Amino acid sequence: MTRGTVSYIGQRLVLIAVTTVLVSSIVFLLLHQIPGNAFLNETRSTPQSLAANLHHYGLDLPLPQQYFNWFTNVLFHGDLGESLKNRGVYITPLLIREASVSATVGFYALLITIGLGLLLGVIAALRQNTWVDYIASSASVAGYSIPSFVLAIFGLLIFGHYLYIWTQGTFYYVPGWGKLEQIPVPALALGLPYASYVARLTRASMLETIRTDYVRTAWAKGLKARVVVLRHALRNALIPVVTILGPLITGIITGSVVIENIFGIPGLGKEFITSILARDYNIVIGVFTFYAALVGLANLAVDVIYPVLDPRIRY
Amino acid sequence: MVTAALPQPDLVTIYEMPEQVSLLQDAWRRIRRNRLALFGAAIILLLLVVALVATFWTPYPVWLQAVGPTYQPPTLKHPLGLDQAGRDILSRIMGGASITVQVGVGSAIIVSLIGIPLGLVAGFYRGTVDTVISFFINIWYGIPDLLVALILVFVLSDALHLIPRGVFVIILAFSLTRWMDVARLVRGQALALREREFVEAARMSGARDFRILFSHIFPNALGPIIVQATFAIPAAVLFEAFLSFLGLGLPSPMPSWGAMANDGYHGLDFAPHIALAPTIALSITLMAFNWLGDGLRDAFDPRMRR
Repeated sequence: MTRGTVSYIGQRLVLIAVTTVLVSSIVFLLLHQIPGNAFLNETRSTPQSLAANLHHYGLDLPLPQQYFNWFTNVLFHGDLGESLKNRGVYITPLLIREASVSATVGFYALLITIGLGLLLGVIAALRQNTWVDYIASSASVAGYSIPSFVLAIFGLLIFGHYLYIWTQGTFYYVPGWGKLEQIPVPALALGLPYASYVARLTRASMLETIRTDYVRTAWAKGLKARVVVLRHALRNALIPVVTILGPLITGIITGSVVIENIFGIPGLGKEFITSILARDYNIVIGVFTFYAALVGLANLAVDVIYPVLDPRIRY
Repeated sequence: MVTAALPQPDLVTIYEMPEQVSLLQDAWRRIRRNRLALFGAAIILLLLVVALVATFWTPYPVWLQAVGPTYQPPTLKHPLGLDQAGRDILSRIMGGASITVQVGVGSAIIVSLIGIPLGLVAGFYRGTVDTVISFFINIWYGIPDLLVALILVFVLSDALHLIPRGVFVIILAFSLTRWMDVARLVRGQALALREREFVEAARMSGARDFRILFSHIFPNALGPIIVQATFAIPAAVLFEAFLSFLGLGLPSPMPSWGAMANDGYHGLDFAPHIALAPTIALSITLMAFNWLGDGLRDAFDPRMRR
C-alpha cells in the first residue's frame, strides 16, 4: 500500500459516490414524474387520507424540495426513506438484511463462475486439441448463450421435478431462507453462463501464455508442473480475465433479479421486482441506489486486485 | 514528323498486382471457413424466414385460446402442444420469432445510430465533446444498465403512459442504456484513425470535417462496428425475454418467448413442454447470434484469430 494507492482508492470512492448519487437521482426524478404517486390506485382512499399520506412522506412538497430532502438523507444519514406501502418499514435496514441474502447466493455464484471457469479454461488449454478441450470448449460456447433464467427453469425441472424423490423439493420452496441446500441450484443457474465465459477467456489467454519464453524457461529449469502452471502461466493468464470481473459482477447482479424471483429467494432482486409491481417507489429507488453502489465498489475491488497480479500496473 | 511510340511497359505483367478485395469480400472469405459461424448464420436465416412467415401466417392465431384442451402435451395436430390457455405453442413460438427479430434488429440499428455519430465526434474532435461523452461512457460502466432500462420501460409505459408497452419502448429503453458500448468502440477507432495519413490527405485536399468523418474514418472502422452491432442483437433479445419473463415487458397476449417461459414455469411439474419450447428457442437463437458474432470478429480482425 503506497500513498499513491491510497489516494487512488480515495479518488475512486469519491467517483463511486458521485456516480451512485447521479444515477439514483435520475431514477428518483424519473419515478417522481408519476402523477399521484403510489397512492393513486388505493381503493379506500379519501381525499383527506390521500393528503395525509402525501404529507407523511413529504410528497406534497415541491419536487426540488423533495429531491433535496432525499439527497441529504441518503448522503449524510444513509437513510433511504420509508416504504410507501408498508408504513413504518424503513428501507435501509430492510435492504441490508436482504442484501446479505443476495450476497450469499451471489458469492457462491461468483465462486462457481471463477472456480469452474478457471478450471475448465486451464484444463482445456493444457490439453489443447484433445477430446477434453473439445468438450470443455463446446460446453462453454453453448453455456454462455443460455441465459440464467433458462438454466433456472431447467434446474427446477430436473432437481425439483424429475429428481423430486432425491431432493424433496427442499431447495425451492421452504417457508424460511437460510438452509444450505437452497443455495446450489440458484447459484449454479446464476454462475454457469458466466463460468463459460470465463472458461473461454482463460483458455485463450492460457494458450498464449504457455507458449511464452518464460514458461518454457520454467519447464527447462525442471520446475514441477503445478508450479509452472499455477505460478508462472496462470498468474499471467489471469490478467485479461480480471478485466471482465467488473461486467461479470454487474451481470450476476442483473441475473440475480430474475433468479431470486424464480426460486423465491428473499433478496434484493425479489424486492426490486416486487416493489416495482407494487409501485413502492421509495424501495425501487433504494434498491437501485444499493445496486449502483455495489457495482461501483465491485469495480473498485477489481482494480485493486489488478496490481497484485501484474506489478507493472501502478496507481 | 514521326514520333516513335515509346514502348509502354505492361504494368500487369511486371508487377504482380494483388487482387483488390473489399472489406466485406475479405470477411466473407474468412468466415466461409468457420463452420460454427456458418451454422449460426443458417439458424439466423431460419429465424428470419420463420419471422417473416409468422407476420402473415401462423397455424393458429397467436392469441386464440382453447383451440384444444389446456396444457395438452405435443400431438400431431399441435406439434409443440398447447399452453395453459389452450393456445397453440407452435404458432406462438413463430410469433415470438417475429418479435425477437424486431427487437434484435431494431435495437442494433438504433444503438448504432446513436453510438456511431457520438463516438466519431468524441474521437475526432477530442476536447470538451470527448470529455462529456466519455463521462457518460464511464458512468455507464459503473451501473447495472439493464435495470435502468427496466425502470425506463416501466416509467415510460406503465407509469406515465407515454408510449404503449410494446416492442418500441423496449428497443428505446435498451438503446438509451446501451449506446455507450458502440460509442466507446467507435471513439477508440476514431482516435486512432484520425492520425493516419489518409485522413491528413483528405484534409489537405480540402475535405470538410463531416466528409472526413463519414467517408474516410467511418468506412475504415466498419468492421469492428458490424461486430459490435451483431453482439447488440442477442443482448437486446435477452433483455426483452428478461423483461417479459418478469411480467414487465410485452403485454399478455403478445407471444414473447420470455412471457411464454413465465407461463410455462408455473406449470413446470405437469406440463414442462410449455416452458421448454420458448426457452430452447431463445437459447438456440442467442447461441446462433453469438457464434456468428464470434465468427465475424475473427473475420474482420485477423489479429484476434486463434
